[in-house]
Amino acid sequence: MENLFVSIASGARTLLESAGLSGGASDFLVMVLKLVGILVYILVSALWLVYMERKVAAYMQCRIGPNRVGPMGLLQTTADIGKLISKEIIIPRCTDKKLFLLGPVLIFMPPLTVFAVAPFGKGMVAIDMNIGVYYFLAVASLSTVIVWLSGWASNNKYSLIGSMRVVAQMVSYEMPLILSIVGVIILTGTLNMSEIIEAQDGVWFILLQPLGFLIYLIAAVAETNRAPFDLVEGESEIICGPFTEYSGMGFAMFFLAEYVNVVLVSVMATTLFLGGWQAPFDFTFIPSWIWFLLKVYIMIFVIMWFRWTYPRIRVDQLMEFGWKVLVPLSIANIFLTGIGKYLYQTIGR
Amino acid sequence: MYGKGLIKGLGITIRHFFKPKVTVQYPEQRLPLPDRFYGRPEFYYDKCIACNQCVNACPNKVIKLETETVDKKKVVTNYEFDQQYCLFCGMCEEACPKDAIKFSNDFELTQYHRPDIKMQFVTPEQIEKKKEEIKQAAAAKAAAEAAKAKEAAKENPEGTGKEEA
Repeated sequence: MENLFVSIASGARTLLESAGLSGGASDFLVMVLKLVGILVYILVSALWLVYMERKVAAYMQCRIGPNRVGPMGLLQTTADIGKLISKEIIIPRCTDKKLFLLGPVLIFMPPLTVFAVAPFGKGMVAIDMNIGVYYFLAVASLSTVIVWLSGWASNNKYSLIGSMRVVAQMVSYEMPLILSIVGVIILTGTLNMSEIIEAQDGVWFILLQPLGFLIYLIAAVAETNRAPFDLVEGESEIICGPFTEYSGMGFAMFFLAEYVNVVLVSVMATTLFLGGWQAPFDFTFIPSWIWFLLKVYIMIFVIMWFRWTYPRIRVDQLMEFGWKVLVPLSIANIFLTGIGKYLYQTIGR
Repeated sequence: MYGKGLIKGLGITIRHFFKPKVTVQYPEQRLPLPDRFYGRPEFYYDKCIACNQCVNACPNKVIKLETETVDKKKVVTNYEFDQQYCLFCGMCEEACPKDAIKFSNDFELTQYHRPDIKMQFVTPEQIEKKKEEIKQAAAAKAAAEAAKAKEAAKENPEGTGKEEA
């Protein structure tokens, strides 16, 4: 079980080589196989998360949630997506047609690209990049541009306001997000995700960096545009923000991309703070990739829990909180971590 | 302290998460309805004496009653209940001296076609049956009377020309 996926990959490689392919070609094909595997996982989990969100919301409101379509309502999202596919994609007259259609096409690109460096288990990373964290942050923040692009192309006042908010919110919360991660990087001295997880063998960084984790969590919720930071969509104010003019599958792409982003920040939180695929209390009889997914889904649950507890905050509160509270705190966290590490090293020596 | 309320809020939602759910799975499970519930009206053809009191009691003129006189007796030929205008006040039920109209517990009143909203309670078979019954009863009565008269004539042949009181 532990090496299930690793042995599938190596088995596929030997199979391809025995079929007469050169080493390089079979390596390439195995890489494609890995990426397709991740792609399938991400898309299925986006579907699953819509269902999970509805169930969590229902349970927190003393309801049952979807339970009619399929066993326990598991096929509800599939049915919804089927409906959305069958809908017409309406393109309003005064939109910038090319950009308008480009938005939903591109929106999945940054999150899916980022998952290439995510370590799903021991030795289960598609591309073991030594600047993994940097790549992760750099590519993930690209989605701001795409949401802005689609909001602008819609030629609608609500879309435009929504995209302005996206840019403002993403840029201001990118700061504390990255600064809170710096603490972890100071402790490990590496940007490689696998090495960061290996450094958490004994103690998870949530214990060494509680403040960093808290800041990361808040900034991550803001980055994914979810309540209480869902000003971007803010149904009661600006209808659906940048996605107002989209219909059918165009809208569904944005909708599902939101959940992919949630998986993204949860994977990141698990990797950086919750010990990745490390088993707690040496419970190594459960495979590492199950531990990883378990932690990811606990993180996702926490984010959903926030959504169904807190009301939306105001724009000025959002900015104030980001720049006046989170950024100073995260800078303080970096200083404290640096001093702590220095003291630890001098005493330890 | 800052953030105390936030933690309290999280506590409330997680407690609700584990609480038993209140949802009733409607078409399969139903909540019990009170006995005095005003749902779909029911009409008992045989009880109706065509007194027209329900028609007069109705504030919205929902009920239409048509009768036909057969052998000096009124037969209800049409009892129409235009349910879309009914406000379920129960006045007709109260006015009826014979409990011929009653509101049941059935609240699923939606219809697929507009004409179906108008409820027709009386079927032609019922009318035929009723007419037949009245005729038979009249005939039986006439026969009984004739028999009685014959017997009376037998007992005292003198009074043949005299009709009995």
